[in-house]
Amino acid sequence: MTKDILRISNLRKSFGSVTALKNASFSVGEGEVVALLGDNGAGKSTLIKVISGVYRADSGEIAVNGAVVDIRSTRDAMALGIETIHQDSSLAPDLSIARNLFLGREPVTMGWLGPFAPINQVELREAARTLMQRVGISKRLNADAPVSTLSGGERQSIAISRAMQFAAKLIILDEPTNNLGVEETHGVLRFVREMKAAGHSILFITHNIHHVFQVADRAVIMRRGEVVADLPLAGSDVLKVEGLIMGVDLKAEPAHG
Amino acid sequence: MSDTPKPGLAALIKVPQYASLVLLVIVLGTFAALNGDFLSPLNVSNMLAFLPELGIIALGMTLLLTAGEFDLSVGATFGLVPVVVMLLVQNAGVDLGLALVIGLAICVLIGLINGLIVTKIGISSFLVTLSMLMIIRGAALYITQGFPLASWDQPGIFVTLLAGDFYIGPFRVYASIFWFAVLSGLAGYLLNRAKIGNWISAIGSNRNAAVARGVPADKVKVWLFVLTSVLAGLAGMISAFRISTASPVAGTGYELEVIAMVVVGGTALNGGRGTILGTVVGALMLRGIRNGIVLIGVPGLAYNIFVGAVILGMLMLHAALQNSGRKG
Repeated sequence: MTKDILRISNLRKSFGSVTALKNASFSVGEGEVVALLGDNGAGKSTLIKVISGVYRADSGEIAVNGAVVDIRSTRDAMALGIETIHQDSSLAPDLSIARNLFLGREPVTMGWLGPFAPINQVELREAARTLMQRVGISKRLNADAPVSTLSGGERQSIAISRAMQFAAKLIILDEPTNNLGVEETHGVLRFVREMKAAGHSILFITHNIHHVFQVADRAVIMRRGEVVADLPLAGSDVLKVEGLIMGVDLKAEPAHG
Repeated sequence: MSDTPKPGLAALIKVPQYASLVLLVIVLGTFAALNGDFLSPLNVSNMLAFLPELGIIALGMTLLLTAGEFDLSVGATFGLVPVVVMLLVQNAGVDLGLALVIGLAICVLIGLINGLIVTKIGISSFLVTLSMLMIIRGAALYITQGFPLASWDQPGIFVTLLAGDFYIGPFRVYASIFWFAVLSGLAGYLLNRAKIGNWISAIGSNRNAAVARGVPADKVKVWLFVLTSVLAGLAGMISAFRISTASPVAGTGYELEVIAMVVVGGTALNGGRGTILGTVVGALMLRGIRNGIVLIGVPGLAYNIFVGAVILGMLMLHAALQNSGRKG
């Protein structure tokens, strides 16, 4: 049994009278790729936002590396080694690639000036180039170019390499392949495998079950705010998983009924 | 990916603030050619006397617009602060230094209220600051009963610091131009070099992305509202000291003129891209146009037509440059 990087127990979150998250429990092991699946409105996004510090749960427990933690802000989550790549682009399009890569963690000189400290431009550019080299995108892209000049896949590559840069224990990918072309999608899936190989744990949220079978070790399935299934993907198949998402046994019905 | 732009005029004017700079030279050159007095020491001194008053507010507005918000209450703040300060001194016998501190506190309060309502309650800054404009302007009119205050003729250290003047050769130079220069340098540093500048641009460009990286977006915005109000109050005091009087209607319409200066300089109205150099150029441009149009004999009542047309032309130019430099 590998060590759990993330373990959540009985998380609950309501917005007014709407309960978005009822009773969510699952864990992500070290170096494991876990797919979080569920139909629209199943509570996946809310759950991700709780883990990444955007929302606070009403009740329940989050443990990172076995220790119970209190995640009150996105900063807290990042400090714990949780990096999230959101589907609605995690990048600021008007900023350069280098400035996006280090947004919120800019290398500075005279650090005692706090937010007013000057950014160390040389270090910023150097670190950006090293990072882009490591993930194999330095040839095509110029670190000083604004992100608005990049394609969707290039933007995801930047966001993912940023998550890897900070040696995150757990990387959460929220629908990373939405709106991407076939080649770009394969690029992202290749990144996921590389991250796993590099020892990162990954929580992968997607609608595309075929992608899940390509990269994930295990699937956690949510329905109406609850985790309804948690199964290893080896020995499972698409129909079974789709049935769990919808809450029906697809195999019991005629295939073309 | 495009190559690094080659240094050359054609590439240079693709950058909004440089395009504005080129246009500024053309505009000033045209006025100078049409009327020899345009560049006379007297006229240049006059232009530079007015310039900092709107320019200082424009610096704060540039940072605020870059973060994706704007402030329509600056003109009213410009009017209210000197009125309160001078009433305190003239009618209540308060020491000028203390009165200025109270004026500063009022600016901070206005900025805090604007910022907190915008960020915590989530009402658009257009509506919040429009309401604030009416509240502040109404307050200024009410406490003065609509009359300008008795003229201010006591020199002193504060008057000299804010609105003192001296001659460099034939040019009459006001202390305010140094304030404008220093504040421009500071604002330029904050936006382009400092960590906070990266945050400001990121907030205006994609607020959620900035928040997800741990940038305290709301806090930054609140302080930018405070900064903008304080700069508006400072500009109001400079103006009141220079003309030795405080009027409750001073600064009427300045909010839009300031926003025009900022966007003419190349800062995006919807956030993400800001330029302090552009704002300085924009301030020079609008003051130059207002002054030059009168000098070349356009009837005073018609000159807003030209100012409006020039602003519109500049914005169309920026839009064209923006579209040519951007893909998907």
